Amino acid sequence: MGFVYKTEEFNKVLEALESKYRIFAPVLKVGEGRFRDTDVIRYDYISRIEDAELEERSDFSFKEILMPLSETMFYFTEDEIKEADYDARPVIVLMRSCDIHAVKRLDQMYTGNGPANDWFYERLRDRVKFALIGCGKACPNSFCVDMGSNKTDEYAFSIDMIDGKVYCDVKDKEMLAAFEGAGGAKDNVEPRFVTEAEFRVERPEEVTVELFKDPMWDEYTKRCVNCGRCNFVCPTCTCFTIQDIFYTDNGRVGERRRVNASCMVDGYTDVAGGLVMRKTNGERMRFKVLHKVYDFRKRFGYDMCVGCGRCDTVCPEYISFANCINKLNARVKEVSANV
Amino acid sequence: MCNCGKNEYTPVPSKLQDIIKHTAQEWTFRFTYVGDVKPGQFFQISIPKVGECPISVSGIGPDYVDLTLRAVGKVTDYLFENFKAGDSLFLRGPYGNGFDVHEFEGGELIIVVGGTAVSPVRGVVQYLCETECAKDVHMIAGFKDPGEIMFKADLKDWAEKIDLTLTVDGAPEGYAGKVGLVTKYIPDIPIRDISKCKAIVVGPPPMIRFSMIELVKRGLSEDNVWISDSRRMSCGIGKCGHCRINDKYVCIDGPVFKFSEHKTLID
Amino acid sequence: MNKTSLDTNLKKLKKNAFRVSKVRGETASRVRCPGGEIDVDSLQRVVDIARKYGKGMVNITNRQGFEIPGIDLADVEEVNKALQLIIENRGVNQEDYNGGYPASGTRNVVACPGKQLCPFANYDTKKFAQEIDKAIFPNDHHVKIAFTGCSNDCAHTRLNDFGIIGMSEPQYNKDRCVGCEQCVKYCKKRSVGALKVVNGKIERDANKCVGCALCVNYCPTRAWTRSKEEYFRVVLLGRTGKKNPRMAEDFMRWADHDTVKKVICNVYAYLDEYLDKAAVESKEHIGYIVDRTGFEEFLKYIMKDVTPNPKCEIQGRIYWGGKRYDQGNELRQSMFRFSEREE
Repeated sequence: MGFVYKTEEFNKVLEALESKYRIFAPVLKVGEGRFRDTDVIRYDYISRIEDAELEERSDFSFKEILMPLSETMFYFTEDEIKEADYDARPVIVLMRSCDIHAVKRLDQMYTGNGPANDWFYERLRDRVKFALIGCGKACPNSFCVDMGSNKTDEYAFSIDMIDGKVYCDVKDKEMLAAFEGAGGAKDNVEPRFVTEAEFRVERPEEVTVELFKDPMWDEYTKRCVNCGRCNFVCPTCTCFTIQDIFYTDNGRVGERRRVNASCMVDGYTDVAGGLVMRKTNGERMRFKVLHKVYDFRKRFGYDMCVGCGRCDTVCPEYISFANCINKLNARVKEVSANV
Repeated sequence: MCNCGKNEYTPVPSKLQDIIKHTAQEWTFRFTYVGDVKPGQFFQISIPKVGECPISVSGIGPDYVDLTLRAVGKVTDYLFENFKAGDSLFLRGPYGNGFDVHEFEGGELIIVVGGTAVSPVRGVVQYLCETECAKDVHMIAGFKDPGEIMFKADLKDWAEKIDLTLTVDGAPEGYAGKVGLVTKYIPDIPIRDISKCKAIVVGPPPMIRFSMIELVKRGLSEDNVWISDSRRMSCGIGKCGHCRINDKYVCIDGPVFKFSEHKTLID
Repeated sequence: MNKTSLDTNLKKLKKNAFRVSKVRGETASRVRCPGGEIDVDSLQRVVDIARKYGKGMVNITNRQGFEIPGIDLADVEEVNKALQLIIENRGVNQEDYNGGYPASGTRNVVACPGKQLCPFANYDTKKFAQEIDKAIFPNDHHVKIAFTGCSNDCAHTRLNDFGIIGMSEPQYNKDRCVGCEQCVKYCKKRSVGALKVVNGKIERDANKCVGCALCVNYCPTRAWTRSKEEYFRVVLLGRTGKKNPRMAEDFMRWADHDTVKKVICNVYAYLDEYLDKAAVESKEHIGYIVDRTGFEEFLKYIMKDVTPNPKCEIQGRIYWGGKRYDQGNELRQSMFRFSEREE
């Protein structure tokens, strides 16, 4: 069912939805970028649609709602282990098509890899519904079309802000009342999707063992500074590290928490005793890139990367992940031609 | 509230039944545990406020599991310094695939292990010792020096039932036992039919690499070799990502791998 | 060539921002570029003047201006007319239209590239420099002021009477911190080591922190962000020179914009009062005057009507170092001639 609203009318929709849901959306955080007077777009709760950044892609993805950067798992007192509380109120997350595809990858890792599910993920996941932000244009560095994540119909409702009007396609029956009561005009609405991209990416079908040791990765040993930004902004990276702490003012009480981890950052493979599996940044780049466009597919049947392009945009060393995939593909062809 | 079922991260209380000290740095902790466990599987020892560490099962009893560890990190150091028999600790597990002991029954088997790596194969050896084919088990166990030899009582017991070669990398003058790397003794193992012979090789990566060279020289098929691997882990249940190699997760697809498969996994 | 009678008032010439050349009959025009910034039209005009009145060469000065040498003294008036476009485009205060620069005592206000370009800058150095230039120029007192974006001090503010060093107060959001420790590493390697890890999160030693905000630059998760407020470290009375070259010393930290501006502007009343009337060319480094009046008197003047922002910390007494060549010129240790050294 489609609706067209003026901004004020759509805020009434949000108001109605807020009786049950909180709205989590990309928000422009002024002055919170890396450099003086630069901004960052990251997710936060909103009440009015004007507070959401609907034009530009967020720098950090929605995934913080499902796997917080830092999440307390347990509190420990002297003789008790207590699961940390969480906010169980339902949430609607506004996100683009690529990110909705990314949710499938998060679900795969946390609830579809191995016999046990991730309890902490599941309890956060259960309260979340997704709303689609339509895409009027391809985002910088994105290649969603080539990754097949440019379109989706898995959303509760869609939002396209065009010339000050909000176009919505509502699929979730439970939410319909909130949309009907806000005074917008009924119309046929189709969310906008990107169908063409300037930058094309071609993935390799098969990557043989020789490519793992290929000199093509050496370039990244020199260029990459292993800061891990590519992982932290990625909507499909799921790695975490568990930390235990005791509170300094009272050593008897403490907590166990997990924090987002990056396979590019030092320490990721360190084991007690001093062994490090991937020392060079080139090896780490290979590990990451092949996971995104090969290893994950080998295990689960589809590629992990959704082509949002955030990692390219955020890299302080101007390393293009997308271009690396193309280089890999060319190298795979070259190597197989020489066999 | 969510209907998420069991929280696999929740540490389960377990009473420490005993501590067996092999060397200054290598002790076996006997934890109370009742349930299905296979040799080669591992548990996360969980110490609230300190951390967790994955340790492979070195022994399985009716109401306990043995976890043998070296004091090399924050959690293990803490364990060594703060606990005694009768204390209560926490575990979660068992995790991983482990060894299928029946796989090795009724045929010739070579076992090459180094140092603490005896742990994951100890259960396999114990099982095979009680079968008719015990005499076809040829085990080479290597330690750094005589002072580092672990599971001495077991080794003595096994020596009577299987073909055991105990060796140390180096020893002071006058040492009566065998000296030399494990690879030195591989060529001498008496095998009737190498094409059907199986092998378990567990130890530090260089030991595995050089042992494999010797075994392959003898004509052993890489498809008939099992190894046990270890990686950094946080979760133990295929979520945290640390232990991934290519498309495999050591914690759920391993830690036991066929060598032919494992050699295609590149860190 | 006898284009000019050479009857020239050099005092007036110098005040008009022309330098006296060693070549008799020639002078050099000094082009003021507050904040070290110049637009292309002005730059073209510098080129045009150098081509028409000079020798086709331009000096780039240490204080971020241009100096056009080889100008005939007879052409000064014409050069001043040609400078009019630059003076207007650069927004430099003037007294007589087409009369060139009205003073040269207070030197060009220097600035590093600042936040418009530099990833490390904590404020707009050029804008602040230009604002100060507007407030203090023209003035004959010999005052050197420089603005730099962060404590790297690329603008060498510590060789100035007033050095203004940008600071941001790092804001920490522990919920966004994953404990990657890159801030700790870079603070230690490239700054002062004010950060440490406690229980997987970061603790900042607020007293040790110099406000460089490297932690903000290197944080991959936006756990560290810059304070909305821009803060400044003010360093005082550094100088080069024959007698006692020395680095400027800390006077304020975490000062705000208004405090900094007022303190700088206040120095002129002090100079009006205490400059040695017999000083050669009416020119003295301020520091030597402070030696005579005492720091308290100087403080009284520069803090007149100043209400520092609450966060601002002020140094009560300042001690300067530097070599005292008037007291001794020896090299400090084991003086020897290289050619005569022992084996």
